[in-house]
Amino acid sequence: MARSARKPGRKLGLLTSVVILVGAAGCGGGFSDDKGAAGDSTGEVRMLVNITPNLTKSYWEGLVKPFEDANPGVDVKIEAPTGSGVKDTLPQLLAAGNAPDVVETLMADKVLAPQMLDLTDQAWTKDTPLVEQASLDGKVYTVGVGQQAQSLVFYNKDAFAKAGISAPPKDLDELTAAMGKLKAAGYLPLQTAGDYVTGLQLLQLSDPSIATKHPDWYQQINSKQAKVGETMLPLLERYQSWIKNGYVDKNALGLKDVGAQTNFLSGKAGMYVMGSWFVRTADDAKPTFDLGVFAAPTEKGQPSPGPQGVTMAAPYMVLKSTKQRDLSVKLVQWLVTDKTAVQSQLAQDGNFRKGYTEKLSPLGKQVQDILDQAPKQVAQGEGYGANTLPQGFNGEWNKAVQSLYTGKSAKDVAARIDSWMGSKS
Amino acid sequence: MVGPALALFVVMLVVPVGLSLYLSLTDWDGYSANPAFVGLKNYVNLTHSAEAIRAGWVTLLIAAVGTVLLSVFGLGFALLVNGASRLNAFFRIVLFYPHVLSALVVGFLWSAVLGTSGVVNGWLTSKGAEVLPFLSDPKWALASLIAVLVWAGFGVNVVLYLAGLQTVSKDLLEAARIDGATTRQTFFNVTLPALAPVVTVNLVLSLVTLLKTYDLVVSLTGGGPAGSTQTAAYLILWDSFHNNALGFGSAQSVVLMVITAGLALTVARLRARADQGVQA
Repeated sequence: MARSARKPGRKLGLLTSVVILVGAAGCGGGFSDDKGAAGDSTGEVRMLVNITPNLTKSYWEGLVKPFEDANPGVDVKIEAPTGSGVKDTLPQLLAAGNAPDVVETLMADKVLAPQMLDLTDQAWTKDTPLVEQASLDGKVYTVGVGQQAQSLVFYNKDAFAKAGISAPPKDLDELTAAMGKLKAAGYLPLQTAGDYVTGLQLLQLSDPSIATKHPDWYQQINSKQAKVGETMLPLLERYQSWIKNGYVDKNALGLKDVGAQTNFLSGKAGMYVMGSWFVRTADDAKPTFDLGVFAAPTEKGQPSPGPQGVTMAAPYMVLKSTKQRDLSVKLVQWLVTDKTAVQSQLAQDGNFRKGYTEKLSPLGKQVQDILDQAPKQVAQGEGYGANTLPQGFNGEWNKAVQSLYTGKSAKDVAARIDSWMGSKS
Repeated sequence: MVGPALALFVVMLVVPVGLSLYLSLTDWDGYSANPAFVGLKNYVNLTHSAEAIRAGWVTLLIAAVGTVLLSVFGLGFALLVNGASRLNAFFRIVLFYPHVLSALVVGFLWSAVLGTSGVVNGWLTSKGAEVLPFLSDPKWALASLIAVLVWAGFGVNVVLYLAGLQTVSKDLLEAARIDGATTRQTFFNVTLPALAPVVTVNLVLSLVTLLKTYDLVVSLTGGGPAGSTQTAAYLILWDSFHNNALGFGSAQSVVLMVITAGLALTVARLRARADQGVQA
């Protein structure tokens, strides 16, 4: 799961804006069903990007400057979201007939793909990370800069040593036993938080065991051969026991993600499950304890390490409605294949790509090793490409998992998520 | 003269409402060029959606409790700072100040105060006490949300009541004093009846504002824990953009609009009837 933009924004007026704008589109050009116009060799390319504390507008402008220098007469216009993020800004722009040429952050699904340019015939896409997994019905719409490893457990090595844990747990039973030892040693065993963190962590932990037990999990779910709640029930029950035993803070839902990170990095907690973007935060924080990372454990009896949940870092798509198709494709190709541009983007947001290891921190190298050693890389949650669940799954899953803290049983949670899935079919 | 105003009214209100109504009858996902007409399906789904129904009740609870508290605190503080002293002028500014802040800022500020690792709980744990679940328990989180909404909003009510207090007849107040009425008797028999129109305005404004509660939910609770503080407006935006269900989101917004208008009209009529009773 890419760090979705969770910044609050001016959403309240957004629906009205969209409504007004779709009316405008009805009167004007509307949507384009063609493949865009080839355009000129010079001109403006508009790129809608995600803006975060790491990825500022000035960073993006600096990133594309070498491209502009190498292509005189080309102006890459960086556009920040006008809503709370790219996901709600793009429909606005499309409805207004004012779509950008390139969009960053989103990945093609069955809803988005009809608006995006098919890049399958572009040979350079073959060597970009996760391109095959992200393809939809064999067609390439999304290309990315790197990977975000998802199924990672960051841990306090000093706390492990004090608790008498000699090696990182390899299966979930060992993980639970380690939690008991950490608690006895005076540490909060597993740091979690409210917000999106609760559900995300459990998804991240589930990736290796679910993908091992159900190699075609997404297909089984979508063909109704299996149910999300049923397959996740053992892990939900385990999580419920962690809450009961005080292995996670019963008041954790009152914490935001930043608070959870601060708690863990201050040495109060033994472990923190999070994606690889946390490496940059951890490196910048320079914790006083020895910080390590291990792959999320599998179920007892399953091989370890198991499959690693991964998502595409900095995904790009070209809109079908573009009037600058050739320049837009050229820009996206440069963004995901130019060594300097790739290196810059990987470093800026804590992402990974095979062959780009020279500038990694020691913690980053551990993550790269985990990625390299994983027998398989798998989608997670809502997923991507052929492996997708209905839109909104991650949010619904998060709410369902949080209800474990408010008195619901694991079976209640499983039933709730299966009921939601049923309502989407 | 009326033309520009009418055009603005049509563009800014009639067209969006009309399009909302239209979209609520479609399955628009926000991207497709030709959304399919689905009739009343979105409205039927709304009646079956436990989450939407729960959000509706949460919104009504916030609106009902919040409206009462805003009026009580607004009037109470207005009475306290009613008078032409420098200290009163200072307190009026202090009381109004939270309303000037963005609701998002207010939410983040209070989450830093009430969060599990926030100022209050930090102090409590330093004294060896248990952490209080201001934002981690569903009931506490809802109460915290209402409390912060009232804190952030009651400055407006204070200003409105202060304006109303200036219109209370000095002659009547003087007559009550000469007749030996107590402060309590003067308030309930002279001041409050004279404030009746202001009370109506306050109730309607507070109700309509609270029925649209969104920003503070985002920044204070994020709709949690476990979706327990999701309001109708929050869920509309969530369904529309996170779930790509703008048709369903539009249906929810139409229902919210109708309920808001209905409640506001009901309150206004009840107050008008009460005002007539007072005058009679």
